[in-house]
Amino acid sequence: MGYAANARVTPIRRQQVDDERQRQRFMEIVAPQLDDALGLARWLTGNRADAEDIVQEAAIRALRALHSFEGVNARAWVLAIVRNTALTWMTKNRTNLVILTDDMAPAGREERDGGADPEAAVIAKADAAMVRKGIAALPLKLREMIVLREIEHLSYQEIAQVTGVPVGTVMSRLSRAREKLAVVLCDDGAAAAGAGARLRIVEGKP
Amino acid sequence: MTASDPRDDILLVEAYCDGELDAAAALALERRLEAEPRLKAHQDRVMALKAAVAGASLREEAGADARQRILAAALGSGVHSRPGADGPANATARRTGGQRFSMRQLAAAVVAASVIASGTTAFIMGRAPPTSGIAAVIAGHQRALLAASPFDVASSDRHTVKPWFDAKLAISPKVPDLAAAGFQLAGGRVDIVGGKAVPVLVYKRREHLISVAAVPQSGARAAGTNEEHSSRDGFVTETWPGQGFAYTAVSDIPAAELEAFCDAWRTAAATQ
Repeated sequence: MGYAANARVTPIRRQQVDDERQRQRFMEIVAPQLDDALGLARWLTGNRADAEDIVQEAAIRALRALHSFEGVNARAWVLAIVRNTALTWMTKNRTNLVILTDDMAPAGREERDGGADPEAAVIAKADAAMVRKGIAALPLKLREMIVLREIEHLSYQEIAQVTGVPVGTVMSRLSRAREKLAVVLCDDGAAAAGAGARLRIVEGKP
Repeated sequence: MTASDPRDDILLVEAYCDGELDAAAALALERRLEAEPRLKAHQDRVMALKAAVAGASLREEAGADARQRILAAALGSGVHSRPGADGPANATARRTGGQRFSMRQLAAAVVAASVIASGTTAFIMGRAPPTSGIAAVIAGHQRALLAASPFDVASSDRHTVKPWFDAKLAISPKVPDLAAAGFQLAGGRVDIVGGKAVPVLVYKRREHLISVAAVPQSGARAAGTNEEHSSRDGFVTETWPGQGFAYTAVSDIPAAELEAFCDAWRTAAATQ
């Protein structure tokens, strides 16, 4: 400070102050979301190293876009940037692995009438590995719904904000994602229980 | 029995499972769940699925290393760099050695980041333990200022705010309307003071917020509460005893203005 600083050209000093303020806002708004951001990116890309690159890139974008943040929901705002960064990144780097399906036809499972649902019992017994595999196998647009709702615990409104689709679309995609995931878990559960014993789970079978 | 689209019913059940229905819609659906096995079966499946995903504990911590790398890269990138210069393709290069900035800059950025982070934490935590009365009220006010919204219920109508507290906490502090005195009611929230959930009223004065925490008092303690003024970290507080509550007001407005606010509040509360 003192003479020397005052004598210098003030615009530079002002720019430094602005930068410092931006950095502080970044630490308040973006930094607390990094866990969620990495989680989302990991589920979208399927691996940790790519996820870190994407979040790093998204954090840089967020820093530059801070002025456009309206101060309402920092988490949804940051996750939206992460998601867009991930989609761009994936189409560029791994086009062969991205399945951007718009095949939104219902998974075609007959509803069953009857008391306590037997499928529910099978689904509830799915182990962590099966759930992981099942989610990873979902098409991207359905997978992100499950991840944002069941893992990141966002509300429908927030998911709509992150993915840029209307709430009605969020609801129907989420429902479809659940249907597909339920089918996978049921089949895996039945396989684990052995053929012919579809609804009776035998404990401890490898 | 149902004229509605079965597909909509499914979405309705899932919205119910996700806690997205309001009380009236939830009640209506609960009645239908009892009557319609088809919906009940779907609810069972969705709840089972939610339980399976939750049980798989798929949330992960970023890890300190990853956090620091990301923060250093973002803060080291500079706010005013040309957008687009950092294409996504460069991200990998940056991580694997093609750094665009020197290690010195990186180290400086990490140090700056941790200083800011710890400074923020210290600011939020305050110097006194946050469970002690006034310090807790100030901490609650500071936290509310940092949060996305400084109140849980936003309303300038005391007939909305008061019932909200009744329903939420089963306690009902006075909620005087001070708009005439220039203090607009903005809403209410719940803070933790001394380990207990207490109602906090939020008023607005120009762009400043005033929080009034109403800490329920048992008979003996109520008598021991005196009127008290203090200031800490740039926030002024005033505490006074009331019927069944000890009230503490916190704000960053000038002390004289807060005093005027508290006077107006007490006058209005007495006649309410």
